[in-house]
Amino acid sequence: MHKKSSIYANISGVFAIVFMGFPVYWMVTTSFKNRQDVLSTEPTILPRSFTIENYQNAFSREGFYASLRNSLIVVLITVAISLFIATFASVAIARTKFTGKRSFISSLLIVQMLPLSALIIPLFLLLTRLQLTNTIGGLALTYVAFILPFTIWTLRGFLANIPIDIEEAALVDGCTRVQAYRHVLLPLMAPGLVATAIFAFIQAWNEFLLAYIIMQSQENLTLPVWLAGFTTRTGTDWGPLMAASTVTAIPVVIFFSLIQKRIATGVTAGAVKG
Amino acid sequence: MTSATKLRIEPKSNFWPYLLIAPALTVILLILGFPVFRLITLSFQQFGLAEIVSGIPTWIGFENYLALLKDPEFWIVLRRTFIFTFAMVAASIVIGAWLAHLMARMNSILRWLLNTTLILVWAIPALVGISIWKWMFSFEFSIITSTINRLGFDFAQRNWFTNTFSGFSIIGGVVVWGAVPFITISIYAALTQVPKELLEAAAIDGANSRQIFRSVILPILLPIYVILISLSIIWDFQVFTQIWVLLDNRPASEYYTMAIYAFEKSFGLSEYGMGAAIALLMIISLLGVTWFYIKKMVQIGDSNA
Repeated sequence: MHKKSSIYANISGVFAIVFMGFPVYWMVTTSFKNRQDVLSTEPTILPRSFTIENYQNAFSREGFYASLRNSLIVVLITVAISLFIATFASVAIARTKFTGKRSFISSLLIVQMLPLSALIIPLFLLLTRLQLTNTIGGLALTYVAFILPFTIWTLRGFLANIPIDIEEAALVDGCTRVQAYRHVLLPLMAPGLVATAIFAFIQAWNEFLLAYIIMQSQENLTLPVWLAGFTTRTGTDWGPLMAASTVTAIPVVIFFSLIQKRIATGVTAGAVKG
Repeated sequence: MTSATKLRIEPKSNFWPYLLIAPALTVILLILGFPVFRLITLSFQQFGLAEIVSGIPTWIGFENYLALLKDPEFWIVLRRTFIFTFAMVAASIVIGAWLAHLMARMNSILRWLLNTTLILVWAIPALVGISIWKWMFSFEFSIITSTINRLGFDFAQRNWFTNTFSGFSIIGGVVVWGAVPFITISIYAALTQVPKELLEAAAIDGANSRQIFRSVILPILLPIYVILISLSIIWDFQVFTQIWVLLDNRPASEYYTMAIYAFEKSFGLSEYGMGAAIALLMIISLLGVTWFYIKKMVQIGDSNA
């Protein structure tokens, strides 16, 4: 439903682009300014200098490589395990019938709205008891649980669009059930698996609160927690902070642009179409 | 799910599906299910550092709740949380919807630019967004303060967070800025799905644009709005990180919302039982507000079973 463009819409559009885009613009330009320009009491919209010293400063800061490494490890473990588990569960939901399926699906959907800031209290006590605080494994396990409901639900959506006849044909041709799943269904699920993996990656990469509580020691921080620690009692190094922020955002921006369409429809479509 | 009903590959024994969901169910029950149960029991206990060490909780019945309900601070925090949530949800839905409807009437190059900007903002990790806003409103070198001054006002260097109104506006600003892209893009996607023939038919029948909006477009958009509003309430009600990090990991009590309050009681004062009671009241208020959404989710579960 595209009507002719109106002047009012176009002018408002320009304002919207400027206002929404400015913070990102400000982050990137600040990250390339020299110290004197960053700490100017009269900042200018257009940058006056160009330097990469903020990036060098950020990378050489204590804990950068450690937190980058921790983030990567946690994220990779989380993606691998949650995808592995979710594939099985989504096949069960999309392809089989069983008592309790209804409640399983409903609880998957409802569990996602539990406020994390409420659950963190008992969760912390539980992990302390299991001696899993301050371990990569404990954090990854928690991430897997929080990401699973959405991953299962999204994969189910992909599966629902794969005609069941294909597996049936494989069964008729003498495949066992497991073979039918592995050699016929799984390859067809590949695009869905990739999209879901990227989604899980973004979630785990961005997460702050759980990592903040679970990973207490300095060498165990993840990138977001490390970023939040830039402000010390002596102040904030704004230039390096903006450089580090840009670096943190880049992988997400790249991945996100790849799967944005699927997420947009995934979140609302399930709810609308039912 | 019509395809599932004509299923011929249904296994004879019924253990298959359970085997398939077992790993997922185990992890979810351990990390999400058990904590919910533990949150409830915890809220009836006195549980502090001593109890963590000994592992033996003291049951105190409704004492945590009674203490809370008698504490004026609790009511202030609850009210603040509701007002703040309402303001953020209203702002993000109104701005998001407004932009989506504008997008439908925009020049195609501008529309592409706006869409790209929105996706970029959507992709920015929360912590990065918070850092940027913190920088934009920093004490000494704020681009916002200096721009306001350049427009002829006389704002001294200021700490935007000494005043809670401007402080909450900035916190809300980060949240809304991050939430608008998803809302706009979802509504715009729904708008483009309104069948053209329907609009033409309505126009031929003599409906004016207001009538067309009310009786053709709105009914199609309504479900999307309900979902987006419910999701926004769920997300905005539990805002934690924005407040926490913008206020340098130690927000003053004027900035407490339910999430921060529960967190401070638990991890700041080690009164985990009290924190659990607050968290549980938070969940209950959230359930009350989003009851419709939950019912819808149960329906979806049913129709997909």
